[in-house]
Amino acid sequence: MSSFGCPFCGPRPLEEFSFHKTLPNVPGGAFEEVYLRSDDPTDSHEHWQHRYGCRAWLYVRRNPSTGRILEVRQLTGSAP
Amino acid sequence: MSASAPLRQGTRLSAERVTFRFDGRDYTGQRGDSAASALWAAGVRLLNRSIKYRRPRAFLALGPEEPNALLTVGPDPACVPNVPAPQLLVAPGLELRSQNRWPSLRYDLAATLLGLGNSFWGAGFYYKTFMWPSWRTYEPLIRKLAGLGYAPGASTLPAVPVRHLVADVVIAGGGPAGLVAALGAARAGLSVVLLEREPVLGGELEFEAATIDGEPALAWVERTVTSLEGLGVVTLTSTALTTVGESLAIAHQQPAGMPGNDTLYRVHAPLFVNAMGAVERSIAFVDNDRPGVMLVGAAERLLARYGVAPGRAVVLFGNHDRLYAAARRLREARVPVLAIIDTRTVAESPLRPLLMADGVECLLGHTVTAALGSPELRAVTVAAIDAPTRTRRIPADALLVSGGWSPYVYAGLQSGGRPDYRAELAAFTAEDQPEWRLACGAAAGHTDLGAVIASAQAAGQQLAGRARHTGADFAATPIVLGADAPPALQPYFRSPADAADEKRQFVDLQNDVTVADLRQALAEGFIDIEHVKRYTTLGVGTEQGRTGGTLGAAVVAELRGLPPAEVGLSRSRGPFQPVPMQALIGHRTATELRPARRTALHELHAAAGGELELMGGWLRPRYYTANGASAAAACIVEAGRVRSSGGICDASTLGKIEIRGADAAAFIDRVYLGRPSSIAVGRSRYAVLLREDGMVLDDGLLLRVAADHFLATTSSSHLAHVLAHLEFHRDTAGAGRRVALTDVTEAWSVIVVAGPTSRTVLNEVLGGSGAAAVNRLSHMDVIDTTWGGFRVRVLRASFSGELAYEVHCQPAAAPLLWTRLAGSGLLPFGLEALDVLRVEKGYLTTSEITGQTTPQDLRMDRLVAAAPDSIGVALLGRPGLSDPERPILVGLHATDPAARFYGGAQLTETADSVHSIGYVTSSVYSPTLGRWVGLALVARRLAGNGTALVARDPIRDGDTAVSIVPAAHVDPRNERMKG
Ligand SMILES: [Zn+2]
Repeated sequence: MSSFGCPFCGPRPLEEFSFHKTLPNVPGGAFEEVYLRSDDPTDSHEHWQHRYGCRAWLYVRRNPSTGRILEVRQLTGSAP
Repeated sequence: MSASAPLRQGTRLSAERVTFRFDGRDYTGQRGDSAASALWAAGVRLLNRSIKYRRPRAFLALGPEEPNALLTVGPDPACVPNVPAPQLLVAPGLELRSQNRWPSLRYDLAATLLGLGNSFWGAGFYYKTFMWPSWRTYEPLIRKLAGLGYAPGASTLPAVPVRHLVADVVIAGGGPAGLVAALGAARAGLSVVLLEREPVLGGELEFEAATIDGEPALAWVERTVTSLEGLGVVTLTSTALTTVGESLAIAHQQPAGMPGNDTLYRVHAPLFVNAMGAVERSIAFVDNDRPGVMLVGAAERLLARYGVAPGRAVVLFGNHDRLYAAARRLREARVPVLAIIDTRTVAESPLRPLLMADGVECLLGHTVTAALGSPELRAVTVAAIDAPTRTRRIPADALLVSGGWSPYVYAGLQSGGRPDYRAELAAFTAEDQPEWRLACGAAAGHTDLGAVIASAQAAGQQLAGRARHTGADFAATPIVLGADAPPALQPYFRSPADAADEKRQFVDLQNDVTVADLRQALAEGFIDIEHVKRYTTLGVGTEQGRTGGTLGAAVVAELRGLPPAEVGLSRSRGPFQPVPMQALIGHRTATELRPARRTALHELHAAAGGELELMGGWLRPRYYTANGASAAAACIVEAGRVRSSGGICDASTLGKIEIRGADAAAFIDRVYLGRPSSIAVGRSRYAVLLREDGMVLDDGLLLRVAADHFLATTSSSHLAHVLAHLEFHRDTAGAGRRVALTDVTEAWSVIVVAGPTSRTVLNEVLGGSGAAAVNRLSHMDVIDTTWGGFRVRVLRASFSGELAYEVHCQPAAAPLLWTRLAGSGLLPFGLEALDVLRVEKGYLTTSEITGQTTPQDLRMDRLVAAAPDSIGVALLGRPGLSDPERPILVGLHATDPAARFYGGAQLTETADSVHSIGYVTSSVYSPTLGRWVGLALVARRLAGNGTALVARDPIRDGDTAVSIVPAAHVDPRNERMKG
């Protein structure tokens, strides 16, 4: 993984983006989100920001074991 | 070679003589020589000692994968260690040194102490032996002896430029496979970057007698390179692949084989081809590390490139037919070949009878059992494999060994790739490759030139297909004639040996890992090949499994009684070739590592004797030297002056974010505590925002400039985080997203004007309408005005507890405004004084807002109660956050007014307790109160005023008795700033 396709800017180098967090992948409330999340090595749902670019917040789905990016889209209020 | 010796002929050499130094003696080589070839030609047989046992070594591989012949280049302290001698080009005056020896290469004290290679320090020795009384007892001595080379004390190497290239495909390896794949891809219309670690293209064709498309191999290389140039292929020589991931390959160019003129390439390409060939490996027999034992390929390189004979009495040893082809080439160059020891029982090479007819002894079913001679090779012992104790001695000063070739798979073992054992290679290839990564040629397990080229042709077509280029214009696959026959290899990894001798059967020469070490790791339960690697250091260092990885895996398989397929191969990560840290750093050194930002008042601070320090990315004055020789002395003068008359301070580094739009008011209620939408236009308020987990992220002021226009200030160092946080919550808000967030930090300079005289002086300096506006301001009022044609915003707010104003102005106006204020009697004060003033008032900074404190911890309950729906509040109800042991903010002073205590001191209930119940976050000497005061976080159960505690600071002054007092040490009723 070395570049992202930003929905606004197109493919840009990884250095322009900053990782924010991995989204919880267990159902439940705040406690479950914080303490009961599980690590899936093949499917990670994440928040990133195109910080040194258009500053859009992005929803990113990727496979950490291969580095492959599966999906990038703008983060909106309705996003998971 | 002496200066009068005849010139050698070689593909890399020119006729110019070059004199260089090695371990204090002059040697003469030729332009184009590597350090290894020039020294070998000069009769030098001892180039180094090994890392652990200090065994004498020369070179094994004579290529970039060389595990032994690593030299130090240049004089101390700015020398460069661990430069592979086979890659290092000699140059006039070059100063080279051997490594891992003391006092000299010939006589090494540690080698003597270690019994010259008696394997005293076997695997796990460090872990088990140096434990009592503690590792630290032994560390200094071990550090002196340990390490590959030693770290230089300085560097004079220039910064390394980093270049970005964009292409459709990056191909690593410029041998026959890489050239054919590049040609195929380029003809199909793809843009191609081709990397070759050697200074010339062609790879093993350098030694190849074959014809390709009717031309001698080297002529074909030349023609192909011309075609590639015509098609716009970017070819980088002396450039090794460092690492590769999906869509980015990093490559490191190092001309002349040593640091000094490096370039780091970042090649952005969605497709990658591994055409990096295969690495020849040795066979484990006793003392197989002696100088003079080298790989067959090393001898061929030595001869063809540099015109140096490997020895005067040469024996070849291996398990395949290529031995005979190599022997023929050596004999054609008049190198005496005495014997060929073939481990196979059948050899069908047609060259064999010819060599035998020429008097070369050719043994089948035999093995070399040991190398003899010290320090360099004098003879070998050989035996029939089925009668290994009946040995025979053959004199030899060079033993050329080849156990086969291991495809260069490491780039293929990342991102899901898996090693697959191939018996016909006695080595692993990389399978299960992701879409973006291909391998061809020897790297994919092909061993004869025709198959190498056919696989590369197929790779070129695959590339075109994956890049979805249509109408590809493919030429016919080049036709190869007269190449070396396929090797017909039979796996053979080590000769029989009894247990004692296994300590001298080397598997990884760089890390001195022997068969005995592998056996011991297995005996102690380190079974997995990755565990074996960690326990024995197999394949660490610059070796990275290149020459010893497959051999180590195969020996482990033998010892475990398993097929190698079940053992697998350790996955080494990039860098696949050593790369200097400096190359990865690029230009980001010294001031470019952390660029310093300067405020518009920078020159004035410097001229006034400001002690500037980098804080939060900004150069800021800590204090002014006119007020004292040290920060401690000056800040007392400066802070005292603010309370008695007044002063000015540069607060331009405050983060400033404009929050504008129809939904701005609703938005700030969501992100800030305390319902800030109720701020009236022209007013401001202290504001706090929380992270999602309830911890305080930052505090600052919110100014309401207009109904739909707020300005938020942030801590200087929290700006980036706060801005991203606000953008996140704006973007993810279900509704109410009509908010623009703009960082205007650098658009406004800020001068803090503080002290009892501040209003008078500010009136005088601003004059006219500005003065009238200032006069009307109550505490926390904001007004926009102008001064000399510049926009000015005046906010009456205080971080010092005095009557004070923040004057925000356009940066162009700041120096003049500052000069006028100073000229009217308000002298500058620095950050140290500001810290004194704010601690006296109990105000917070990042010392208290640590990211681990809640608003309740910082006594902001009132703000929380007013904003039950704000971000972060939901998680504040967690029971642990109100635990009686959880620290809460308090004021502290030293019980004895003359005593001092320090920030960072741990707080305990009694002088003999070691149980910390909190710590001092800030402490200052208060010129107002004449004693040390501070802030602390203390367990809630002990946080009542008057509690006596001990501030324990064993590193500095020891223990100080302290008492809890209200956090606002000075003017708790705010009469001074509101007056
Ligand atoms: Zn973008």
